[in-house]
Amino acid sequence: MSSIRPRSAAAYWLAVPAGLWMLAAVVLPTLLILWVSLWGGQSVSPDNPITFDNYARFLSNGSYRALMLDTLAQAAMIMGITGVLGYCIAYFLTVKVTSPAWRTALFLAFVIPFWTSTLIRAIAFVPFLGVNGLLNQALLAAGLIEQPIQAFLYSRLGVSMAQVSLYTLLASGPVVYMLNSIPPALREAAMTLKASPFTVFRRIILPLTLPGIVIGQVLVFLNVLADFITVTTVGGNKLAFLGNLILLFYEGSQIRATAVVSVLLMAVMLAGVAVALRIVDIRKVGG
Amino acid sequence: MAAPAALPQLDLELRDIRKRYGGFTAVDGVSLQVPKGQFVCLLGPSGCGKTTTLRCVAGLEEPDSGDILIGGREVTADPPWQRDIAMMFQDFALFPHMSVAKQVGFGLEMQKKPRAEITRRVAEVLGAFEIAHLADRRPSQLSGGQKQRVALARAMITEPRILLLDEPIGALDYSLRETVMLELKALQKRSGISFIWVTHDQNEAFSLGDQVVVMNHARIEQQGRPEEVLSRPRTAFVAGFIQGNNILRGQAQGARDGLLDIRTEDGSFAVPLNGRAVPAAGSPVSFSVRAERLQEAAADELPNRISLRCTLVEYFGAYRRHVLETRSGATIKWDQFGALPQSVFAGELVTFGWKAEDGVLHA
Amino acid sequence: MHWKTRSRLTSWLLGIVTIGFLLFQWLPMFTMFLLSFAGENGGTTFPMNGVSLHWYRKLWEADLFDDFKPPMLRSFLLALGCSVTTVVLSVTAAQAMRGRFIGSGAYFYLLLLGLMAPGILVGFGFAILTRLLGIEGAWNTTAYVVHVSWALPFGFMTMLAVFNRFDPRLEEAALTLGATRVTAFRRITWPIILPGVIGTALFGFSLSYDEYARTLFTAGSDGTLPLAVMAQLDRQLTPELYAIGTVTTVMSLVAIFLCTFAFWLRSRALRGRPSH
Repeated sequence: MSSIRPRSAAAYWLAVPAGLWMLAAVVLPTLLILWVSLWGGQSVSPDNPITFDNYARFLSNGSYRALMLDTLAQAAMIMGITGVLGYCIAYFLTVKVTSPAWRTALFLAFVIPFWTSTLIRAIAFVPFLGVNGLLNQALLAAGLIEQPIQAFLYSRLGVSMAQVSLYTLLASGPVVYMLNSIPPALREAAMTLKASPFTVFRRIILPLTLPGIVIGQVLVFLNVLADFITVTTVGGNKLAFLGNLILLFYEGSQIRATAVVSVLLMAVMLAGVAVALRIVDIRKVGG
Repeated sequence: MAAPAALPQLDLELRDIRKRYGGFTAVDGVSLQVPKGQFVCLLGPSGCGKTTTLRCVAGLEEPDSGDILIGGREVTADPPWQRDIAMMFQDFALFPHMSVAKQVGFGLEMQKKPRAEITRRVAEVLGAFEIAHLADRRPSQLSGGQKQRVALARAMITEPRILLLDEPIGALDYSLRETVMLELKALQKRSGISFIWVTHDQNEAFSLGDQVVVMNHARIEQQGRPEEVLSRPRTAFVAGFIQGNNILRGQAQGARDGLLDIRTEDGSFAVPLNGRAVPAAGSPVSFSVRAERLQEAAADELPNRISLRCTLVEYFGAYRRHVLETRSGATIKWDQFGALPQSVFAGELVTFGWKAEDGVLHA
Repeated sequence: MHWKTRSRLTSWLLGIVTIGFLLFQWLPMFTMFLLSFAGENGGTTFPMNGVSLHWYRKLWEADLFDDFKPPMLRSFLLALGCSVTTVVLSVTAAQAMRGRFIGSGAYFYLLLLGLMAPGILVGFGFAILTRLLGIEGAWNTTAYVVHVSWALPFGFMTMLAVFNRFDPRLEEAALTLGATRVTAFRRITWPIILPGVIGTALFGFSLSYDEYARTLFTAGSDGTLPLAVMAQLDRQLTPELYAIGTVTTVMSLVAIFLCTFAFWLRSRALRGRPSH
């Protein structure tokens, strides 16, 4: 008994607005992309026959295929880096920092940038990575390099650095949540059963945080695949991933090609999520 | 540091353990000796330091000073995984991602035992604890009583020298506790493993322990056999913490024939010194008399007499408790066992007395 | 040495990694803050060539072509609208979930979908939808709809978490004291979930205010601030962009600070003052 009765009509009526909104703004548009990607013929029109020609044309182009693989490789690399980095940070903040004040302070320092604009954060990497940028200045001052490194900005290295900075929180957050839900007594119980700290980590902590790792990896995967802002701001014009291709086709009014790339992107994403769901049951995480 | 030679027959020895957290003293000079195969209960209110003491033995806390010896070997600096102990935790601390069989075999796995031996021993132990049918279940699919058995099996399979138990039955339903207590006591006797059992429940402590250690404010107040602690509480705290004691406070007067005269607001009483030095005249002292040792009527023959007014009579199943008030307003309890007819009623004025040897002088 | 002392080595290593990352995360932003105060001849990298408020003044006295004030106003209004709508929809949807209606499992995934679907796909798909329907895109119509669909899942999850921790016996107590369901919600539930509602509002505002991809496809001719920033970046990177970045970041920080402060005030009020 509460302010809402189970299975009451009120529950349905309360659910309707948000549900309709999501159907209209997310589900329907996604289905439309799928439909448009199958439009054949010369002109862009729903009257044309349904065909897979658009896909055949796109996939027959070797450079597009290479770009797809390249995007996946980039995602894999960023997932690896943010995964390790994010786990280390999560472990440090939740397990190693014992002072509540320090923990809160460090955690805020970690999370606050998430509430600021991703675009602005990406732009901020330009003066940081540039030839006269802060990073080069610092490395020069430290005597680690003799010439400023050109390759930081407008390069894959720069894009990757920016993406790591932007997405580590996504990899880390779910791990923080899972680590917080492990009672300290479990760790202690394992130690009294003769497990060394490393074994405790491998046999107890790691398996129990696995759902958090997987969810974090899914979030990073989805974000890197769809990222085009970092690539355009930090990568200049020298670099393109699938997201940039979508934009490029769209700006060239190639609606069907845009739709094809979008659908392929979506398919890759769904495949990734499906793999993740095979590893962990996401529904169990909350409960 | 030149420590005195350890006694080999001791399973556990604590020498002057101290532990502080910032400004809070958790353990303040605790020393304890546990002979082989003993059941020791650490009893005390929450925050008295009993759990911290236990965690120091386990190696989960590092004492600021003092020595811990397990089986005569100094282990103070050893990590938990190198100590000859096992531990049962308050909420059992079962690993949620492991089946019961995997869970119980974990300790043996850590000892790098061959797989065949682990399988055989796990099957044995699951059988012995009557949980063989649960082997494939996860902890989330177990009842409280089942979890308790699994946790116990997981700890016992490693055959430690000492089993540490932190409120091990506190999470169980009340109806289950008595059965489990009996089983654990029998298990301890059978296995010959020393049990160090932390509890705030005096019934547990007195019915299980070969030795009861009462703690308060980070210190040991009294340790001894249960009947000793029950009948001769060493301090006013112990007397007050254990149910059924009447505590009276006053000033020491002279001593004669091994009896100390104590003057209180409700009269003077003779209390045996029991070999204790005579306190300075006028110094504040306290003593206790158990509620069932008070005697009605025949008070003239008793050396200690007190006038009381009965305020309340309650029934507690096996006994009848009378709450009485002295003239100065102190509360005295009198318990009457057996189905005797009620002789004292609320509102009545009565005189009670007790034999000199029933009084217990506190330190 | 006790084993706990030994494990401090790991702590130090992890601590260095964490602090290193935090520096890496914050230093670019500080570089931007710093360079936004460069002198008139200051470039987009070091050296700064003097210290001035020149680029902020330029921002304020902008001419027609790079006037950031109208997009900023549009972004602000859009974010405000998105915030309010998100709060209403999140609270009703989460309250509906408490009703455990048939199909609530699928409903949960429907709302979660918005979290997973990338902005570039949602934006593009919605652009197709409006084109097929013959609707002209605008920042305060089509972009608004898409922005809400982005913030809603975050708000919904927040409110679900809040309701999970909420003790329904409080409502039951109110009902036994004669309150109707609506009154129980208004007088008991609402004040208790208010911190979560504030969080949801913050999500709704900042997610909309900072959104680029979804807006790009749906905003029509009058763009929002992120679009204007990106357009300017395409033309030329100037310290003026740093000034904008600094202004919006500071605004975000102030909003977070205000919310944290509100939470703190509220938790203090709930704890009550010690009586004499």
